[in-house]
Amino acid sequence: MPDQAPMPEFSSSVKLKYVKLGYQYLVNHFLSFLLIPIMAIVAVELLRMGPEEILNVWNSLEFDLVQVLCSSFFVIFISTVYFMSKPRTIYLVDYSCYKPPVTCRVPFATFMEHSRLILKDKPKSVEFQMRILERSGLGEETCLPPAIHYIPPTPTMDAARSEAQMVIFTAMDDLFEKTGLKPKDVDILIVNCSLFSPTPSLSAMVINKYKLRSNIKSFNLSGMGCSAGLISVDLARDLLQVHPNSNAIIVSTEIITPNYYQGNERAMLLPNCLFRMGAAAILMSNRRSDRWRAKYKLSHLVRTHRGADDKSFFCVYEQEDREGHVGINLSKDLMAIAGEALKANITTIGPLVLPASEQLLFLLSLIGRKIFNPKLKPYIPDFKLAFEHFCIHAGGRAVIDELQKNLQLSGEHVEASRMTLHRFGNTSSSSLWYELSYIEAKGRMRRGDRVWQIAFGSGFKCNSAVWKCNRTIKTPKDGPWSDCIDRYPVFIPEVVKL
Amino acid sequence: MFSKEKTIMEEDRVRFICKRTVVSTRSVEPGRLYHFSVLDHVMEPNQIRLVYYYKTSKTREPGEITKKLRESLAYTLNCYPIITGRLVKETDGKEEKEDVILRWKVKSNDAGMRMVEARAAGSVEEWLRSVTREEELKLVHWEDMYHLHYYWSTFNVQVTEFESGGLAIGLSCSHLLADPVCAMMFMRAWADLTLSRSMMAPPLFHPLPPRRFANDGLISNNQLLSQYIKSCSLMVSPSNVAEDHMVTVTLLFPDPLVRAGENESAISTFEILAGLFWICVSRAKGKRNELMDMSLCLDVRKLLRLDQSYFGNCMVYHKVPYSKPVKTKDRLLLFHAVEEIQNITKRLDYDTVMDLIEWLSSNNGAISNGSDLVCTNLENMSHPRPMMFEEDLVLRHMSCYVKGPVAGGGQVIVLPSPSGKGPKSRVVMISLPQREMTKVVEDELLLSFSPVILMKNTK
Repeated sequence: MPDQAPMPEFSSSVKLKYVKLGYQYLVNHFLSFLLIPIMAIVAVELLRMGPEEILNVWNSLEFDLVQVLCSSFFVIFISTVYFMSKPRTIYLVDYSCYKPPVTCRVPFATFMEHSRLILKDKPKSVEFQMRILERSGLGEETCLPPAIHYIPPTPTMDAARSEAQMVIFTAMDDLFEKTGLKPKDVDILIVNCSLFSPTPSLSAMVINKYKLRSNIKSFNLSGMGCSAGLISVDLARDLLQVHPNSNAIIVSTEIITPNYYQGNERAMLLPNCLFRMGAAAILMSNRRSDRWRAKYKLSHLVRTHRGADDKSFFCVYEQEDREGHVGINLSKDLMAIAGEALKANITTIGPLVLPASEQLLFLLSLIGRKIFNPKLKPYIPDFKLAFEHFCIHAGGRAVIDELQKNLQLSGEHVEASRMTLHRFGNTSSSSLWYELSYIEAKGRMRRGDRVWQIAFGSGFKCNSAVWKCNRTIKTPKDGPWSDCIDRYPVFIPEVVKL
Repeated sequence: MFSKEKTIMEEDRVRFICKRTVVSTRSVEPGRLYHFSVLDHVMEPNQIRLVYYYKTSKTREPGEITKKLRESLAYTLNCYPIITGRLVKETDGKEEKEDVILRWKVKSNDAGMRMVEARAAGSVEEWLRSVTREEELKLVHWEDMYHLHYYWSTFNVQVTEFESGGLAIGLSCSHLLADPVCAMMFMRAWADLTLSRSMMAPPLFHPLPPRRFANDGLISNNQLLSQYIKSCSLMVSPSNVAEDHMVTVTLLFPDPLVRAGENESAISTFEILAGLFWICVSRAKGKRNELMDMSLCLDVRKLLRLDQSYFGNCMVYHKVPYSKPVKTKDRLLLFHAVEEIQNITKRLDYDTVMDLIEWLSSNNGAISNGSDLVCTNLENMSHPRPMMFEEDLVLRHMSCYVKGPVAGGGQVIVLPSPSGKGPKSRVVMISLPQREMTKVVEDELLLSFSPVILMKNTK
């Protein structure tokens, strides 16, 4: 008897799998399934009628010149209107991620030692930081900027500027070299850095360094959190729709130096443990000539803002603590709010990307819940059918775990996010690009693959971008992962004993 | 005019810029524990300070060379996990149950080493002309062990850039981990890596090798061993000179062998200089009929067939007995003193040292030299290849201090002299109480060697 019980389950699960596959195939290719019988009937008819009968039918249709001309003009007119009103294809030509120098490395032991020396009278806060670090999912090779290595740290404005120069200029030099772009040819420049906003802006700093044109369209986005990278992509896309034959450079970074929290309030010490140095520079273009060398095409970009809800608005809040130190307060229900924001985002992006089979199932389950039985479990569409790769913002181990559970993703799907968190830490808006770089370095990116980038940010925002790979990408020789990709993926234990 | 000069001297010429931790560029294998040898444990309460002065012909941006040194130090530390680790008193399960006393070990946890950056006014030459012991020690950063030893860096480096050109690198470390020989080898490895991106002599970390051939029994009359037995069982009275009343003078001896009239190559310059100071300091202490107690600090790496890049303590302290007449002519007295010294240096052998090591394996304690004069032999630390960090940085001067119970009541450290002064010339650093020092520098026998004063004691 006990032997019998598992067998039916196994065979039924196999049967279910085939049923599912059959169903998906049927619904997704419905139109072709309709078309095949029609074409078969027409072909049979044509074969039945001999060539002379076909000629007779053709001659009986009296076409005169005017009719032919009008109909052809009509067709040409419709097709022109269609092509003109189609939005331009936005290409991602190439991007480069900043690789911090090995001398900026901060192992756990050094971080804890500095923390102990700086917070000598607050051993409980030090203990708290140690527990966070043990469970954070970070590795021993993440980097902090030079100003934070001092005992005590010296976050001056000068140091912040020099960190900005170091990360942004290195990434941009690399991008110019990779793409062969001349600085004079840049039409649009968008720089996003949430917590450091000097005057003149970081985009002005870039323009000054590279001597960009005087009629460049430059934008500097600050205060928009870790999802600002995708917001910049959205802005670039809108601008590239308006300006024909242009390119846009986006620089996504987070400058750590001025934001190192120097107090000892626990909820505000968390960012110190997780945020690390990083930057990415991306070149986007709408030129037809770039379609051969571009890596990706932008398919969709969906932005969801939950700021209207008070709880979401206050969950990541920058404020002063009791002693006057400024830090970012992360509330305890951050995960729940992130989950809600994700749901809102999925509801919008689902119809755009999911295959018809999933949408139908979702619609049926929705109808069922609304009309028949409200207690029915909501159907979570299987996004693995819509995308080959996932890039989840490496905000922390909890974020990745939560999304993996919600979207029912396997370990391999979230591997890029987990390994980026381990090697580079939470680099804020540029982490999505490090993850994409990981997938490319592993040689998994093929032509036609779809990538889903999800970013969360303060506010609370959830933004998604869907890219389609334009050409199979060979494993790059350089890049942030080039010297360590062979060591990855690593097993990251639940708790690292310090 | 004099008061103005005094204020300039008293003003802090060394300006502290920042302190940070330098970590190795590669992450270490977590959880490794390094054990100390018995010779390490016996040196625990002491510290070493080294200062290296470099002069340069190129003008640089302030902070440029410091940045370069910091980066090359990070690469150097890849080969020195013991320096980037921290002291713990853990057990790794290998000790026998009877070992209740847990001894220090180094846990290699990748924490890094402290580095302090500073600026100094003037140039290296000006500094060397007028520096004293207190000022020189400002070029070396040191922190006593914290209450929580797990967060205490055993090695500290200070890089001081001189505003008018030149560089001073100060290294301080706990004597538990290193002796002056391997501390200097560490500096050399760092310099090699900075200059040529490759380390010529990477360090060797291994336990002291066991005895090669079993001995029939302990050597009778093992003076080295009896000295350590006395010291470890606290039968030696501590030095009666407080640390801060010591003054240091650095002298350059251009040609001690020739001045001594010794042309035989059998006598080394160290032996001559040790004999010389033995006599002068004894006289300064007012001893007329005998010479004071003196210990020699000798490197026994060669004796134990260890490579010079063995990292760890490998120097022993051997008292020199004097039984010859004292009331003779200076030259004869010097001859007698050198003979007694040679009895020790030439006759120290493998078995003597191995007996000591075996005795120390079952006995705890720390060596103390009481109020003896201690003469340390570091004259073999020079190398045909000069120690340079960059092409244009030339080593101008090297200072060495040892602090703690082994420093005894006075120290004489014999160092090689920087290149250009002759292969037989030596730099000697003498640390004595103030009163004795004034007598020693005026001693006739000393002056007959025509020493050049490099660092005097200005008061």
